[in-house]
Amino acid sequence: MPPSPSAAPIIAVQGLTRSINSGTHLVSILKGIDFEIPRGQFVAIMGASGSGKSTLLGLLAGLDTPTTGAIIIDGTDIARMAEDDLALLRGQKIGFVFQSYQLIPTLTAEENVLLPVELAGDGRADVSRARELLELVGLGDRLDHYPVQLSGGEQQRVALARAFILKPPILMADEPTGNLDSKTGQQVLELLITLNRREGATLVLVTHDRQLASHADRIITLRDGLIVADELVSEIPERV
Amino acid sequence: MTRQDNFSLATAAKIAWRESRASSVKFGFVILAVAVGVGSLTGVRGFSSAFYAMLLKEARTLMAADLSARVFVMATPEQMAVIDDLGRQGIRSTQVTETLTMAASLKDPSKPTAPVLVSAKAIDPALYPFYGEVQLTPAARLRDVLNENSVAVSDDLALRLNVTTGDMIRLGGQDYKVIGQVTKEPDKMSGSINIGPRLLMTRSGLERAGLLNAGSRAAQRFLFQLPIAQPSTATPPPDVEAVRQTLKNTFPEAQVIDFRETNPAITRGLETSTRFLSLVSLIALIVGALGVATAMHSHLQQKLDSIAVMKCLGARSSQIIRIYLLQTLALGLTGGLLGIAVGGAVQLAFPHLIARYFQVPPSFVWDWASMAQGLLVAVFSTLLFTLPPLLSVREIRPNLILRREMGETRGGWFRSRSAIAVSGGILVGMGALAAWIAGGKLEDALRLGAYFTGGLAVALGVLAGVAWLLLRVLKMVVKIRTLPANWRHGLANLYRPGNQARAVLVALGLGVMFTVTIYLVQQSILSEIAASAPPGMPNVFLIDIQQAQKDGVTDLVKRQPGLDKPPELIPSIAARVVKVNGQPVETMELKGFQRRFRQSRNVSYVTEAPKQTQVVSGAWWTKSTAGLVAIGDDAAKVLKVSPGTEIEFVSSGKTVLARVAVVYRNLAVGPGSNTEFLFTPESVAGLPTIYYSALRMQPSAVASLQQSLYQRFPTVSVINVADVIQTVQEVVDQIALVIRFISTFAIMAGVIILASSVAGTRFRRIREVVILKTLGATRKRVSRIFSAEFSILGATAGLMGSLLASGFANLVLVQFFKGEWKFNAPSILVAVVLTAVIANIAGWAASARILGQKPLEVLRAE
Repeated sequence: MPPSPSAAPIIAVQGLTRSINSGTHLVSILKGIDFEIPRGQFVAIMGASGSGKSTLLGLLAGLDTPTTGAIIIDGTDIARMAEDDLALLRGQKIGFVFQSYQLIPTLTAEENVLLPVELAGDGRADVSRARELLELVGLGDRLDHYPVQLSGGEQQRVALARAFILKPPILMADEPTGNLDSKTGQQVLELLITLNRREGATLVLVTHDRQLASHADRIITLRDGLIVADELVSEIPERV
Repeated sequence: MTRQDNFSLATAAKIAWRESRASSVKFGFVILAVAVGVGSLTGVRGFSSAFYAMLLKEARTLMAADLSARVFVMATPEQMAVIDDLGRQGIRSTQVTETLTMAASLKDPSKPTAPVLVSAKAIDPALYPFYGEVQLTPAARLRDVLNENSVAVSDDLALRLNVTTGDMIRLGGQDYKVIGQVTKEPDKMSGSINIGPRLLMTRSGLERAGLLNAGSRAAQRFLFQLPIAQPSTATPPPDVEAVRQTLKNTFPEAQVIDFRETNPAITRGLETSTRFLSLVSLIALIVGALGVATAMHSHLQQKLDSIAVMKCLGARSSQIIRIYLLQTLALGLTGGLLGIAVGGAVQLAFPHLIARYFQVPPSFVWDWASMAQGLLVAVFSTLLFTLPPLLSVREIRPNLILRREMGETRGGWFRSRSAIAVSGGILVGMGALAAWIAGGKLEDALRLGAYFTGGLAVALGVLAGVAWLLLRVLKMVVKIRTLPANWRHGLANLYRPGNQARAVLVALGLGVMFTVTIYLVQQSILSEIAASAPPGMPNVFLIDIQQAQKDGVTDLVKRQPGLDKPPELIPSIAARVVKVNGQPVETMELKGFQRRFRQSRNVSYVTEAPKQTQVVSGAWWTKSTAGLVAIGDDAAKVLKVSPGTEIEFVSSGKTVLARVAVVYRNLAVGPGSNTEFLFTPESVAGLPTIYYSALRMQPSAVASLQQSLYQRFPTVSVINVADVIQTVQEVVDQIALVIRFISTFAIMAGVIILASSVAGTRFRRIREVVILKTLGATRKRVSRIFSAEFSILGATAGLMGSLLASGFANLVLVQFFKGEWKFNAPSILVAVVLTAVIANIAGWAASARILGQKPLEVLRAE
């Protein structure tokens, strides 16, 4: 078990379960999960396909509601929160990076990065920050390109800039390099880690790639809907 | 957690616009669906009102006026004051006097011809006729050539008097110059006296002849023309009923009729076509809105990912709904504008398409009110029908991005409750639209709206139920192992998650139902209309044929060139009603024109039901025996008789007792057709009989018939109504043509919508094609599986929709058109096959490109 941080955790999960009614039968995906993530930590959630890691990420981000249990994000239990309140919370506190980039195809790179600002509706479309972030990810000259005009790696870099635009305290990434070749994947990962350090966010990364997970501070491993290991990377013995 | 919602309209509009631009082809289709709906609505409405006005104008020409009051005594000063008062309200009037008199030729004073009994008609050429025109040979305008010293004569009279243009004739001791022959007289059939050949003169000319002494048997007709109706209001003008009532009060003894009752075939045709056209307008509206709903639903299905991403990025449902609401509004508005243009084009194009059928092409008016209504209806119905897909945005889980494959059954009580509320809202909204479109009295409009809502609810309920049941049955079929693999896969496709086979079936079924309903109702109406004015109606009548002349006249007519239909002899016997069920007719309360039943009437006899009659009550005799009579519905109403009533007649001093077997309605026109009593031959055997003859001949051959007949049978008169019959037939043909055209338009709209509901399933197939191809399925194999699915979907919806249509059409026919219940099995079969074919064509038109897609393109995009 990782050491408990002195400050209040930014994410706390208690007795979390999630079942899905597929119409004919009930499938238990998560069977009782408990953990806490301190502010600023980089956590990798690992597990084989079907272990429940994406479901867990979705629940942490308020994209889905748990069957039972509590999810406390920055002091607020989001487990029973209304849909629109969850949307507001995501806009304010959580940045996302998806495996398949998920850019809006009809918006340009810059407009995609600015979308969370516009959705947040605080009236300050921070164009300079968007451009700065796009410069940082090496796309300063592709502001007006549509997703379809960008390569996979470039699209994922736009997604990274979008994830950080509102300076969210938490960043969630679901297999962010899963659709990229190893070289591009490595570049995107390095960018993600660099940006995350620069912005000081808590990073939750879902992956089945141990190499990727090795960059994290801590690895939580799931199997069949249960946590089977929760270790600090610094304490994991070197594996051959 | 609250925050001011500043997600600007500009941002929503930007996303909406970009998305629309990226999906221009698909949205083109949506716009087309709205345009077709609105186009048929405004086109049908605009055109039908123009057409209706034109038809009424034709109907008006048959009486040369909007209203007429026929009196048999001279008008009193009080009555004339009322007519003057109407004149001050903008209602024009003119008087027509008809009287019988003798005319003689002055052509050759050395060889005087015998005077001839003529039916003189005196008019004011400055005003008469209000509608139609009197055609003269040689051609001239009536008002230019007819004065107090001149007359125009019918071809028959010219022949009998042996006069031509320029000759003089004598009438009532005064001389008049013949200015030509009357070849067309619009209100010929509305005249009071059809005994002698026609002589047309001015009222001052008649006064000069001194024929209008007190007590003369002149018949007066007052003709009235109402102020021109506004184009925005559907004719008839609203005050026709009020004027009619005023006239009835002023002339209690008079027979007052208006243009809506000039001819039974036209009247029924007008009523039927108006009802049918309103029905089609409403159906076109629903079909269009249905198309929008299907297209928008499919669009949102494709945008699931974008919507989920936006939700992940913090968008609330209301912000996303705003984007798609803007899109819907823009689509509705664009479609509406295009639809109005289409509707306008329909109205403009139609008269050209059928120019040869129209003597007076319907005038096209840009009716702004109706266009604004069309636009509002477009936007409102689009919004209404896209409400469910728009609200479903709330149901889209952002988690979809992470867990696409996991289809989860959600919902339950809350969801079904809100679905019911939304459906209820849509139905009520559609009802309100229907009521608004129907217009008229608030009460009537509301009732129609309520019927419409109820009907739609029942149809949707039945369709959803039947779709559910059919899918259950098909699910059992899938389990049959011996079924060919392609068909099994095709069937199984209907049950894959996200296929929404039930929704597509309901949409398709509804489209088929409306389309087939229109077709079935149209077929039935057309056959009814055709029966009311069959081609080959008699257009020449011979009157006053004596018993002894019967065979000779028939023989002569049969040998005439240009005869289209051999003569039919109609016997006529003069008889008077004495008692009805024992009550003397003198003691019955009869007013005005009803008093004709106290005088001698022309009765006839038949062995079986005559053509162009309709049974109102009772039944025609199957075996002709003495003592039976059939009575026309008007006479039956006046004399208060029904089948079984005993009526006593007197004819040539003999008493004839007869029991009423049947009350009938006459749909025919022409002399003899207004006979109110038809006996069995045995009932009137031995009574003195004269004959009418009805025949059909080419108009150009009538003159030669008149000549031959006059030489051998000078007492037999010829009445030539070829021009009038032609007008009646033209009007009825026009009604039929319009019904066909507008039905075809609505059916085409239905087909487009049907295609769109199948095409809307396109995007769901993309992944499936890829997976099948990745697994080694050939293009041929995939296309077979899809063809099987399209065919099953189309045939099932076709069967369901056409069966419902059969019931619906029959209900409509029985309830609104007084038709008969029929089951049209061949139509259903054709509908099933056609829907399957359309589903295949549309499905393939939308999916063909998918087949050629490389699997990796799609998989990489995942």
